[in-house]
Amino acid sequence: MADNAEFENLVARFYAPLYQFAMSLAGTEADACDLTQQTFAIWATKGHQLRDASKVKTWLFTILHREFLDSRRRQTRFPHCDLESAEFELPSISPAAISRLDTAHVLAALQKVDEVYQAPVALFYLQDCSYQEIADILKVPLGTVKSRLARGLGQLQQLLARDLTAGQNPPLNL
Amino acid sequence: MNRDEAKKILQRYRPGTTDATDPLVAEALALAAQDAELSRWLAEAIARQEALRAKFRQIAPPAGLKEQIISEHAAAVRMKSRRHSLAFAVAGVLLLLACAGLFGWWQATPPASDLAIYRGRMVRAALTGYAMDLTTNSEAPLRTYLAQRQAPADYVLPAGLQHATVTGCAVEKWQGANVTLICFRTGKPLPAGESSDLWLFVVDRSKLKDAPAPGAPALANVNRLITATWAAGNKVYLLCVAGDAATLRAYL
Repeated sequence: MADNAEFENLVARFYAPLYQFAMSLAGTEADACDLTQQTFAIWATKGHQLRDASKVKTWLFTILHREFLDSRRRQTRFPHCDLESAEFELPSISPAAISRLDTAHVLAALQKVDEVYQAPVALFYLQDCSYQEIADILKVPLGTVKSRLARGLGQLQQLLARDLTAGQNPPLNL
Repeated sequence: MNRDEAKKILQRYRPGTTDATDPLVAEALALAAQDAELSRWLAEAIARQEALRAKFRQIAPPAGLKEQIISEHAAAVRMKSRRHSLAFAVAGVLLLLACAGLFGWWQATPPASDLAIYRGRMVRAALTGYAMDLTTNSEAPLRTYLAQRQAPADYVLPAGLQHATVTGCAVEKWQGANVTLICFRTGKPLPAGESSDLWLFVVDRSKLKDAPAPGAPALANVNRLITATWAAGNKVYLLCVAGDAATLRAYL
Protein backbone atom coordinates (compact mmCIF):
# COMPACT_ATOMS: atom_id res chain seq x y z
CA MET A 1 0.00 0.00 0.00
CA ALA A 2 1.19 3.46 -0.83
CA ASP A 3 1.98 5.87 1.95
CA ASN A 4 -1.20 7.72 2.97
CA ALA A 5 0.08 11.26 2.45
CA GLU A 6 1.62 10.35 -0.88
CA PHE A 7 -1.60 8.68 -1.91
CA GLU A 8 -3.70 11.70 -0.99
CA ASN A 9 -1.43 13.99 -2.98
CA LEU A 10 -1.72 11.72 -5.96
CA VAL A 11 -5.50 11.65 -5.72
CA ALA A 12 -5.65 15.43 -5.43
CA ARG A 13 -3.55 15.82 -8.57
CA PHE A 14 -5.19 13.27 -10.80
CA TYR A 15 -8.69 12.39 -9.69
CA ALA A 16 -10.37 15.14 -11.71
CA PRO A 17 -8.61 14.49 -15.05
CA LEU A 18 -9.03 10.76 -14.56
CA TYR A 19 -12.70 11.21 -13.87
CA GLN A 20 -13.06 13.35 -16.99
CA PHE A 21 -11.39 10.66 -19.06
CA ALA A 22 -13.52 7.97 -17.44
CA MET A 23 -16.66 9.99 -18.07
CA SER A 24 -15.68 10.47 -21.71
CA LEU A 25 -15.25 6.74 -22.10
CA ALA A 26 -18.04 5.32 -19.98
CA GLY A 27 -20.63 8.05 -20.38
CA THR A 28 -22.23 7.64 -16.97
CA GLU A 29 -21.27 9.17 -13.66
CA ALA A 30 -21.54 5.89 -11.80
CA ASP A 31 -19.26 4.05 -14.21
CA ALA A 32 -16.83 6.96 -14.30
CA CYS A 33 -16.63 7.02 -10.50
CA ASP A 34 -16.08 3.28 -10.41
CA LEU A 35 -13.32 3.48 -12.99
CA THR A 36 -11.62 6.35 -11.19
CA GLN A 37 -11.76 4.59 -7.82
CA GLN A 38 -10.62 1.32 -9.32
CA THR A 39 -7.66 3.06 -10.92
CA PHE A 40 -6.50 4.44 -7.58
CA ALA A 41 -7.12 1.11 -5.88
CA ILE A 42 -4.81 -0.52 -8.41
CA TRP A 43 -2.28 2.23 -7.83
CA ALA A 44 -2.40 1.55 -4.10
CA THR A 45 -1.42 -2.06 -4.58
CA LYS A 46 0.77 -1.94 -7.69
CA GLY A 47 1.96 1.65 -7.94
CA HIS A 48 5.20 0.82 -6.15
CA GLN A 49 6.20 -1.20 -9.21
CA LEU A 50 6.47 2.03 -11.21
CA ARG A 51 10.12 3.04 -11.09
CA ASP A 52 9.91 6.27 -13.09
CA ALA A 53 7.89 8.81 -11.12
CA SER A 54 7.49 10.99 -14.21
CA LYS A 55 5.32 8.25 -15.74
CA VAL A 56 2.67 8.37 -13.05
CA LYS A 57 0.15 10.23 -15.20
CA THR A 58 0.64 7.89 -18.15
CA TRP A 59 0.45 4.89 -15.82
CA LEU A 60 -2.83 6.04 -14.26
CA PHE A 61 -4.48 6.81 -17.57
CA THR A 62 -3.30 3.50 -19.00
CA ILE A 63 -4.76 1.63 -16.06
CA LEU A 64 -8.05 3.47 -16.30
CA HIS A 65 -8.30 2.75 -20.02
CA ARG A 66 -7.50 -0.91 -19.47
CA GLU A 67 -10.11 -1.15 -16.75
CA PHE A 68 -12.62 0.49 -19.04
CA LEU A 69 -11.89 -2.01 -21.82
CA ASP A 70 -12.19 -4.89 -19.35
CA SER A 71 -15.51 -3.61 -18.07
CA ARG A 72 -16.73 -3.06 -21.59
CA ARG A 73 -15.91 -6.64 -22.51
CA ARG A 74 -18.20 -7.70 -19.69
CA GLN A 75 -21.01 -5.50 -20.93
CA THR A 76 -22.60 -5.07 -24.31
CA ARG A 77 -25.02 -2.35 -23.55
CA PHE A 78 -23.13 0.43 -25.23
CA PRO A 79 -24.84 1.84 -28.29
CA HIS A 80 -23.11 1.89 -31.59
CA CYS A 81 -23.80 4.00 -34.56
CA ASP A 82 -22.97 3.07 -38.10
CA LEU A 83 -21.13 5.86 -39.74
CA GLU A 84 -19.71 6.15 -43.13
CA SER A 85 -16.00 6.24 -43.16
CA ALA A 86 -14.77 9.52 -41.74
CA GLU A 87 -13.83 11.96 -44.35
CA PHE A 88 -11.30 14.66 -44.08
CA GLU A 89 -13.89 17.13 -45.31
CA LEU A 90 -15.45 17.75 -41.97
CA PRO A 91 -19.08 18.81 -41.72
CA SER A 92 -19.42 22.47 -41.29
CA ILE A 93 -20.49 23.03 -37.73
CA SER A 94 -19.87 26.47 -36.50
CA PRO A 95 -17.96 26.88 -33.25
CA ALA A 96 -20.92 28.86 -31.97
CA ALA A 97 -23.25 25.92 -32.59
CA ILE A 98 -20.94 23.66 -30.64
CA SER A 99 -20.81 26.15 -27.82
CA ARG A 100 -24.58 25.98 -27.54
CA LEU A 101 -24.47 22.21 -27.00
CA ASP A 102 -24.26 20.96 -23.49
CA THR A 103 -21.50 18.65 -22.35
CA ALA A 104 -23.88 15.73 -22.02
CA HIS A 105 -24.74 16.02 -25.68
CA VAL A 106 -21.09 15.98 -26.69
CA LEU A 107 -20.37 12.97 -24.48
CA ALA A 108 -23.37 11.15 -25.86
CA ALA A 109 -22.01 11.73 -29.35
CA LEU A 110 -18.61 10.41 -28.28
CA GLN A 111 -20.28 7.24 -27.03
CA LYS A 112 -21.48 6.63 -30.57
CA VAL A 113 -18.05 7.01 -32.10
CA ASP A 114 -16.36 3.71 -32.90
CA GLU A 115 -14.99 2.36 -29.66
CA VAL A 116 -11.41 2.29 -30.84
CA TYR A 117 -11.46 6.03 -31.47
CA GLN A 118 -13.11 7.13 -28.23
CA ALA A 119 -10.08 7.07 -25.95
CA PRO A 120 -7.73 8.93 -28.30
CA VAL A 121 -10.36 11.61 -28.88
CA ALA A 122 -11.03 12.02 -25.16
CA LEU A 123 -7.33 12.31 -24.38
CA PHE A 124 -6.92 14.72 -27.29
CA TYR A 125 -9.51 17.12 -25.92
CA LEU A 126 -9.06 16.64 -22.20
CA GLN A 127 -5.44 16.42 -21.40
CA ASP A 128 -3.52 18.16 -24.11
CA CYS A 129 -1.60 14.90 -24.26
CA SER A 130 0.98 14.82 -26.99
CA TYR A 131 0.48 12.24 -29.69
CA GLN A 132 3.30 10.24 -28.12
CA GLU A 133 1.68 10.38 -24.66
CA ILE A 134 -1.58 9.15 -26.13
CA ALA A 135 0.34 6.35 -27.81
CA ASP A 136 1.98 5.47 -24.49
CA ILE A 137 -1.31 5.47 -22.61
CA LEU A 138 -3.16 3.40 -25.17
CA LYS A 139 -0.17 1.19 -25.92
CA VAL A 140 -0.45 1.65 -29.66
CA PRO A 141 2.06 2.97 -32.21
CA LEU A 142 2.31 6.69 -32.84
CA GLY A 143 1.05 6.36 -36.41
CA THR A 144 -1.99 4.50 -35.17
CA VAL A 145 -2.78 7.34 -32.78
CA LYS A 146 -2.67 9.88 -35.59
CA SER A 147 -4.94 7.89 -37.86
CA ARG A 148 -7.35 7.09 -35.03
CA LEU A 149 -7.48 10.74 -34.06
CA ALA A 150 -8.23 11.77 -37.61
CA ARG A 151 -11.05 9.26 -37.91
CA GLY A 152 -12.37 9.75 -34.37
CA LEU A 153 -12.48 13.52 -34.59
CA GLY A 154 -14.20 13.22 -37.95
CA GLN A 155 -16.81 10.79 -36.63
CA LEU A 156 -17.53 12.95 -33.59
CA GLN A 157 -18.10 16.04 -35.66
CA GLN A 158 -20.24 14.10 -38.14
CA LEU A 159 -22.44 12.92 -35.30
CA LEU A 160 -22.73 16.35 -33.79
CA ALA A 161 -23.57 17.82 -37.19
CA ARG A 162 -26.23 15.16 -37.71
CA ASP A 163 -27.77 15.88 -34.31
CA LEU A 164 -27.69 19.62 -34.85
CA THR A 165 -29.31 19.22 -38.24
CA ALA A 166 -32.04 16.94 -36.83
CA GLY A 167 -32.46 19.11 -33.73
CA GLN A 168 -31.83 16.11 -31.50
CA ASN A 169 -30.69 16.36 -27.95
CA PRO A 170 -29.71 12.83 -26.99
CA PRO A 171 -30.22 11.94 -23.37
CA LEU A 172 -27.23 11.04 -21.29
CA ASN A 173 -27.18 9.88 -17.76
CA LEU A 174 -25.04 12.51 -16.14
CA MET B 1 1.12 18.14 -49.93
CA ASN B 2 -2.08 19.62 -51.34
CA ARG B 3 -4.83 21.50 -49.56
CA ASP B 4 -7.00 18.44 -48.83
CA GLU B 5 -4.10 16.53 -47.41
CA ALA B 6 -3.23 19.52 -45.25
CA LYS B 7 -6.80 19.73 -43.92
CA LYS B 8 -6.73 16.07 -43.03
CA ILE B 9 -3.57 16.62 -41.01
CA LEU B 10 -4.57 19.92 -39.46
CA GLN B 11 -7.83 18.64 -38.07
CA ARG B 12 -5.79 17.12 -35.25
CA TYR B 13 -3.75 20.26 -34.69
CA ARG B 14 -3.99 22.04 -31.32
CA PRO B 15 -2.31 25.41 -31.03
CA GLY B 16 -0.14 25.83 -27.97
CA THR B 17 0.76 22.17 -27.74
CA THR B 18 3.60 20.13 -29.14
CA ASP B 19 1.48 19.19 -32.16
CA ALA B 20 3.36 21.68 -34.32
CA THR B 21 6.56 19.71 -33.83
CA ASP B 22 5.06 16.88 -35.83
CA PRO B 23 6.73 17.20 -39.26
CA LEU B 24 3.49 16.67 -41.18
CA VAL B 25 1.63 19.22 -39.06
CA ALA B 26 4.49 21.68 -39.50
CA GLU B 27 4.37 21.20 -43.25
CA ALA B 28 0.60 21.64 -43.31
CA LEU B 29 0.85 24.78 -41.20
CA ALA B 30 3.44 26.16 -43.57
CA LEU B 31 1.08 25.50 -46.45
CA ALA B 32 -1.80 27.20 -44.60
CA ALA B 33 0.38 30.25 -44.11
CA GLN B 34 0.59 30.60 -47.88
CA ASP B 35 -2.98 29.56 -48.73
CA ALA B 36 -5.68 32.00 -47.72
CA GLU B 37 -8.55 29.55 -48.09
CA LEU B 38 -6.71 26.89 -46.10
CA SER B 39 -5.86 29.50 -43.52
CA ARG B 40 -9.53 30.44 -43.10
CA TRP B 41 -10.48 26.77 -42.87
CA LEU B 42 -7.79 26.24 -40.22
CA ALA B 43 -8.98 29.18 -38.15
CA GLU B 44 -12.51 27.78 -38.08
CA ALA B 45 -11.29 24.25 -37.37
CA ILE B 46 -9.27 25.52 -34.45
CA ALA B 47 -12.24 27.44 -33.08
CA ARG B 48 -14.40 24.33 -33.44
CA GLN B 49 -11.83 22.22 -31.62
CA GLU B 50 -11.56 24.81 -28.88
CA ALA B 51 -15.32 24.79 -28.45
CA LEU B 52 -15.34 21.02 -28.21
CA ARG B 53 -12.41 21.02 -25.85
CA ALA B 54 -14.26 23.43 -23.58
CA LYS B 55 -17.20 21.05 -23.50
CA PHE B 56 -15.02 18.14 -22.45
CA ARG B 57 -13.35 20.22 -19.79
CA GLN B 58 -16.67 21.11 -18.28
CA ILE B 59 -16.93 17.56 -17.02
CA ALA B 60 -16.71 17.93 -13.27
CA PRO B 61 -16.21 15.11 -10.81
CA PRO B 62 -19.12 14.65 -8.44
CA ALA B 63 -18.69 16.22 -5.04
CA GLY B 64 -17.05 13.93 -2.55
CA LEU B 65 -15.34 11.66 -5.07
CA LYS B 66 -11.87 12.60 -3.90
CA GLU B 67 -12.79 12.08 -0.25
CA GLN B 68 -14.43 8.77 -1.08
CA ILE B 69 -11.31 7.51 -2.87
CA ILE B 70 -9.12 8.53 0.05
CA SER B 71 -11.41 7.08 2.69
CA GLU B 72 -11.74 3.79 0.83
CA HIS B 73 -7.97 3.61 0.56
CA ALA B 74 -7.64 4.27 4.29
CA ALA B 75 -10.21 1.57 4.98
CA ALA B 76 -8.32 -0.85 2.75
CA VAL B 77 -5.08 -0.04 4.58
CA ARG B 78 -6.77 -0.62 7.96
CA MET B 79 -8.26 -3.88 6.71
CA LYS B 80 -4.89 -5.02 5.42
CA SER B 81 -3.28 -4.04 8.69
CA ARG B 82 -5.92 -5.99 10.60
CA ARG B 83 -5.39 -8.96 8.31
CA HIS B 84 -1.65 -8.75 8.94
CA SER B 85 -2.20 -8.54 12.68
CA LEU B 86 -4.57 -11.48 12.54
CA ALA B 87 -2.12 -13.44 10.43
CA PHE B 88 0.66 -12.69 12.90
CA ALA B 89 -1.57 -13.68 15.79
CA VAL B 90 -2.57 -16.94 14.09
CA ALA B 91 1.05 -17.63 13.22
CA GLY B 92 2.02 -16.96 16.83
CA VAL B 93 -0.65 -19.29 18.16
CA LEU B 94 0.37 -21.99 15.70
CA LEU B 95 3.99 -21.57 16.72
CA LEU B 96 3.08 -21.85 20.38
CA LEU B 97 1.00 -24.94 19.68
CA ALA B 98 3.85 -26.46 17.70
CA CYS B 99 6.29 -25.69 20.52
CA ALA B 100 3.89 -27.12 23.07
CA GLY B 101 3.46 -30.22 20.93
CA LEU B 102 7.18 -30.63 20.55
CA PHE B 103 7.70 -30.12 24.25
CA GLY B 104 5.00 -32.66 25.04
CA TRP B 105 6.49 -35.13 22.62
CA TRP B 106 9.92 -34.53 24.10
CA GLN B 107 8.53 -35.00 27.58
CA ALA B 108 6.62 -38.11 26.58
CA THR B 109 9.56 -39.69 24.82
CA PRO B 110 11.79 -41.49 27.28
CA PRO B 111 15.37 -40.32 26.98
CA ALA B 112 17.77 -42.85 25.64
CA SER B 113 19.18 -44.82 28.53
CA ASP B 114 22.74 -43.90 29.39
CA LEU B 115 23.33 -47.45 30.49
CA ALA B 116 21.91 -48.89 27.28
CA ILE B 117 24.11 -46.64 25.19
CA TYR B 118 27.11 -47.55 27.28
CA ARG B 119 26.32 -51.23 26.93
CA GLY B 120 25.94 -50.95 23.17
CA ARG B 121 29.19 -49.03 22.79
CA MET B 122 31.14 -51.51 24.87
CA VAL B 123 29.71 -54.50 23.03
CA ARG B 124 30.75 -52.93 19.74
CA ALA B 125 34.23 -52.37 21.19
CA ALA B 126 34.40 -55.99 22.29
CA LEU B 127 33.38 -57.28 18.89
CA THR B 128 35.29 -54.97 16.63
CA GLY B 129 37.02 -52.03 18.15
CA TYR B 130 39.58 -52.64 20.83
CA ALA B 131 43.30 -53.27 20.84
CA MET B 132 44.77 -55.06 23.78
CA ASP B 133 46.99 -52.64 25.69
CA LEU B 134 48.53 -55.32 27.84
CA THR B 135 48.67 -59.02 27.03
CA THR B 136 49.09 -61.21 30.05
CA ASN B 137 47.59 -64.25 31.67
CA SER B 138 48.18 -62.86 35.12
CA GLU B 139 45.75 -60.56 36.81
CA ALA B 140 48.20 -58.65 39.02
CA PRO B 141 49.95 -56.81 36.20
CA LEU B 142 46.55 -55.88 34.87
CA ARG B 143 45.60 -54.03 38.00
CA THR B 144 48.95 -52.28 38.10
CA TYR B 145 48.65 -51.23 34.50
CA LEU B 146 45.06 -50.11 34.87
CA ALA B 147 45.86 -48.14 37.99
CA GLN B 148 48.67 -46.39 36.15
CA ARG B 149 46.25 -45.53 33.39
CA GLN B 150 43.75 -44.25 35.96
CA ALA B 151 41.22 -46.83 34.88
CA PRO B 152 39.20 -48.75 37.49
CA ALA B 153 41.63 -51.25 38.95
CA ASP B 154 39.98 -52.13 42.24
CA TYR B 155 37.28 -54.17 40.61
CA VAL B 156 35.91 -57.36 42.12
CA LEU B 157 35.53 -60.34 39.83
CA PRO B 158 32.47 -62.47 40.28
CA ALA B 159 33.12 -65.99 41.44
CA GLY B 160 32.53 -67.63 38.06
CA LEU B 161 34.89 -65.31 36.29
CA GLN B 162 37.75 -65.95 38.64
CA HIS B 163 38.22 -69.32 36.98
CA ALA B 164 38.35 -67.94 33.49
CA THR B 165 41.69 -67.38 31.79
CA VAL B 166 42.77 -63.77 31.59
CA THR B 167 44.33 -62.75 28.28
CA GLY B 168 44.97 -59.04 28.77
CA CYS B 169 43.39 -55.68 29.20
CA ALA B 170 42.68 -52.38 27.51
CA VAL B 171 41.38 -49.00 28.50
CA GLU B 172 38.29 -47.71 26.68
CA LYS B 173 36.65 -44.32 26.91
CA TRP B 174 33.12 -43.44 27.96
CA GLN B 175 32.20 -39.78 27.96
CA GLY B 176 35.73 -38.81 28.93
CA ALA B 177 36.06 -41.43 31.65
CA ASN B 178 38.33 -44.42 31.50
CA VAL B 179 36.68 -47.81 31.31
CA THR B 180 38.54 -50.94 32.19
CA LEU B 181 38.31 -53.80 29.72
CA ILE B 182 39.56 -57.18 30.91
CA CYS B 183 39.71 -59.91 28.30
CA PHE B 184 39.25 -63.63 29.03
CA ARG B 185 39.08 -66.89 27.23
CA THR B 186 36.19 -69.31 27.72
CA GLY B 187 38.23 -72.19 26.43
CA LYS B 188 36.13 -72.62 23.34
CA PRO B 189 37.90 -72.51 19.99
CA LEU B 190 38.56 -68.95 18.96
CA PRO B 191 38.17 -67.48 15.49
CA ALA B 192 41.42 -66.92 13.68
CA GLY B 193 43.25 -63.85 14.95
CA GLU B 194 41.18 -63.60 18.13
CA SER B 195 42.62 -64.07 21.58
CA SER B 196 39.53 -63.50 23.71
CA ASP B 197 35.86 -64.39 23.74
CA LEU B 198 34.77 -63.12 27.13
CA TRP B 199 34.99 -59.48 28.20
CA LEU B 200 34.42 -57.59 31.36
CA PHE B 201 34.01 -53.82 31.39
CA VAL B 202 34.26 -51.85 34.58
CA VAL B 203 33.38 -48.19 34.98
CA ASP B 204 32.80 -45.93 37.95
CA ARG B 205 29.14 -45.72 38.82
CA SER B 206 29.33 -41.97 38.87
CA LYS B 207 30.00 -42.00 35.13
CA LEU B 208 26.59 -43.46 34.27
CA LYS B 209 23.57 -41.26 34.87
CA ASP B 210 21.24 -44.24 35.20
CA ALA B 211 23.61 -46.70 36.76
CA PRO B 212 21.76 -49.69 38.17
CA ALA B 213 21.36 -50.09 41.88
CA PRO B 214 23.46 -52.78 43.44
CA GLY B 215 21.77 -56.10 42.98
CA ALA B 216 21.50 -59.13 40.79
CA PRO B 217 22.92 -58.89 37.25
CA ALA B 218 20.48 -57.97 34.50
CA LEU B 219 20.85 -59.98 31.33
CA ALA B 220 20.31 -58.54 27.88
CA ASN B 221 21.15 -59.57 24.35
CA VAL B 222 23.11 -56.88 22.58
CA ASN B 223 24.25 -57.41 19.06
CA ARG B 224 25.42 -61.03 18.94
CA LEU B 225 26.53 -61.15 22.54
CA ILE B 226 24.68 -61.75 25.74
CA THR B 227 25.44 -59.32 28.49
CA ALA B 228 25.06 -59.12 32.23
CA THR B 229 25.08 -55.77 33.95
CA TRP B 230 25.29 -55.18 37.66
CA ALA B 231 26.58 -52.70 40.15
CA ALA B 232 28.70 -53.42 43.13
CA GLY B 233 30.41 -50.91 45.36
CA ASN B 234 31.10 -47.84 43.30
CA LYS B 235 31.52 -49.76 40.09
CA VAL B 236 29.27 -50.91 37.28
CA TYR B 237 30.21 -54.18 35.65
CA LEU B 238 29.34 -55.38 32.20
CA LEU B 239 30.16 -58.94 31.20
CA CYS B 240 29.78 -60.00 27.59
CA VAL B 241 30.09 -63.35 25.91
CA ALA B 242 28.87 -65.07 22.82
CA GLY B 243 26.28 -67.69 23.65
CA ASP B 244 23.18 -67.98 25.74
CA ALA B 245 22.15 -67.01 29.25
CA ALA B 246 23.43 -70.26 30.69
CA THR B 247 26.84 -69.66 29.20
CA LEU B 248 26.92 -66.23 30.76
CA ARG B 249 25.63 -67.27 34.15
CA ALA B 250 28.56 -69.68 34.41
CA TYR B 251 30.81 -66.66 34.81
CA LEU B 252 28.78 -64.72 37.33
